[in-house]
Amino acid sequence: MMRSLRARLMLAGAGLAVLFMLGLLPALQKAFSLALEESIGQRLASDVTTLISAARVEDGRLLMPTLLPDEQINLADSRLLGYIFDRGGRLVWRSRATTEQNINYTPRYDGRGDEFARIRQPDGEEYFVYDVEVKLLGGRSAAFSVVALQPVRDYQLITSSLREDLYLGFGAALLALLLLLYGGQTWSLRALRRLSTELDEVEAGKRDTLSDQHPRELLRLTRSLNRLLGSEREQRGRYRDSLDDLAHSLKTPLAVLQGVSETIAQRPQDREQAHVLQAQIERMSQQIGYQLQRASVRKSGLVRHQVALRPVVDSLCSTLEKVYRDKPVRVTLQIAAQAQVPMERGALLEMLGSLLENAYRLCLGQVCVGLREDVDGLELWVDDDGPGVPPGDRLRVLQRGERLDRQNPGQGIGLAVVEDIVSSYGGQLTLADSPLGGASFKVRLRLA
Amino acid sequence: MKLLVVEDEALLRHHLFTRLSENGHVVHAVANAEEALYQLSQFNHDLAIIDLGLPGISGLELIRLLRAQDHALPILILTARGNWQDKVEGLASGADDYLVKPFQFEELEARLNALLRRASGFIQPTIAAGPLALDLNRKQATLDQAPLMLTAYEYRILEYLMLHQQQVVAKERLMEQLYPGDEERDPNVIEVLVGRLRRKLDGAQGFKPIETVRGMGYLFTERCR
Repeated sequence: MMRSLRARLMLAGAGLAVLFMLGLLPALQKAFSLALEESIGQRLASDVTTLISAARVEDGRLLMPTLLPDEQINLADSRLLGYIFDRGGRLVWRSRATTEQNINYTPRYDGRGDEFARIRQPDGEEYFVYDVEVKLLGGRSAAFSVVALQPVRDYQLITSSLREDLYLGFGAALLALLLLLYGGQTWSLRALRRLSTELDEVEAGKRDTLSDQHPRELLRLTRSLNRLLGSEREQRGRYRDSLDDLAHSLKTPLAVLQGVSETIAQRPQDREQAHVLQAQIERMSQQIGYQLQRASVRKSGLVRHQVALRPVVDSLCSTLEKVYRDKPVRVTLQIAAQAQVPMERGALLEMLGSLLENAYRLCLGQVCVGLREDVDGLELWVDDDGPGVPPGDRLRVLQRGERLDRQNPGQGIGLAVVEDIVSSYGGQLTLADSPLGGASFKVRLRLA
Repeated sequence: MKLLVVEDEALLRHHLFTRLSENGHVVHAVANAEEALYQLSQFNHDLAIIDLGLPGISGLELIRLLRAQDHALPILILTARGNWQDKVEGLASGADDYLVKPFQFEELEARLNALLRRASGFIQPTIAAGPLALDLNRKQATLDQAPLMLTAYEYRILEYLMLHQQQVVAKERLMEQLYPGDEERDPNVIEVLVGRLRRKLDGAQGFKPIETVRGMGYLFTERCR
């Protein structure tokens, strides 16, 4: 199957034009040959007429003047040959040019009058022949065959030069046609290009829907795409809302239960029960949190997101700075001012938020966030100067729900969510030593 | 300290009210943003705990409204979703810290104390003024390293005066620290309490950090660190 619409259209158009011309060319040639032959016939007829009008008959003998009124016949090297035969087929007169020639022609004096024909000589030369039977000459009864000949070669020269002209003309016409075709296609295909530009804009998040400024043939496509986009957006919105509702309606009762369990824990005889209750509440809460975050930040949809990294990092840092106000943390950014990350803003915020929170919580006083772009994609890293993670524990730290420091409650799902977001974008989360001396979380992302 | 709790879930609101009151705070607990705005326009609260998922005016809008009205009190947000979008938006619109539901009460208390401390310009959880030291987390005062026996009311007054050191504190403000409503407000009670507090502080060394500003209120003169 041919992949390009333009190639298909060009091929079809060019094929059609060539077929058309192949059909037209012989017809044109034929018509021209006929017209040319016709005019040659007329020309020869007029030459014969000239000969006849110049001829006189005295005593049954034919007399011809040395100079004839037709210039062509007088010339010694003329292509036009004139012969006059008597009834018996004997040659009685020949024009000057015929002395060089040896034409083998036998007139047929058969009473049929004029005859226009083509004859072939033994040497292969062909001639047009106009043969007129003369019964009356200068008012007297006579019987002659007046013949004018012209070589077919001249005619062939004309027709072949015509053919060349025709081929040239048709070639030029074909070229012009193809150019026009190309132009026309560009014009028509521009509609498709415009559609593709709009789709790019939709994917880049610059426009919400496709416009209605498309040719009728495409409207059906664009309208159903718009419906699809709309329903997807609506569904995502609804999904997010219901996730919010779900979070609120599950987490708030858990907060109440947590409170109740704390009250129960104050009674010494119920302390053990209360701790079981609290552990279960913690587990439920983690699971709910993890599943909800996971569901809400996974990659989806047509839109290819590009988010400027710096503003996101800045807003997270100012949030964390407020939360960790008592802890002076110096954050260094190694991010180009315009650097972008191919992720949805919410997902990027969750991912970086968790990584940065980790870094703020565990660092001694230095955090570094960086972004590097290479041929394989992007690498985003968050370094800290905290205790770091021993190589043997790294795999476990990255696994779902695990965490090394169980002293800080409520943080367990952070890395699991990060891992989930990263893998939903086809990326990789790794853990290494940072140049600052602590842990270095690296996120590798393929370029969109 | 006088706290405002804005939480729409009645049970959680009640729980917060009870636990915070037990821990020596004066608590107003309301169910929506409108009531919160009314409370804040009528009383001087030291801190607000605001749930983000309020019906009607959302928690975020409430915080923006409060900051627009120049309420400078520290705000702690409670979020059910616990996602960074909420945290970033909450803190960007003027909140000072967040807590994700469900939370342990100790965690809430620790965050509250940290916020109250910071609001008064203290970084450490203990405030020292001469021989007097106050442990804000344990609600314990010591004088010359010896524990000082204070009633809950006396401790509240001392803490409030120390957190607002070098400022004249009106009797009404102190009263608000003790009683949630307008009822049983008797300025004499404050005078009696401050008198008892002075006697307990004034050990052998003649330590007299609380001064009376006539007709206005009290002033904690000792520099606190």
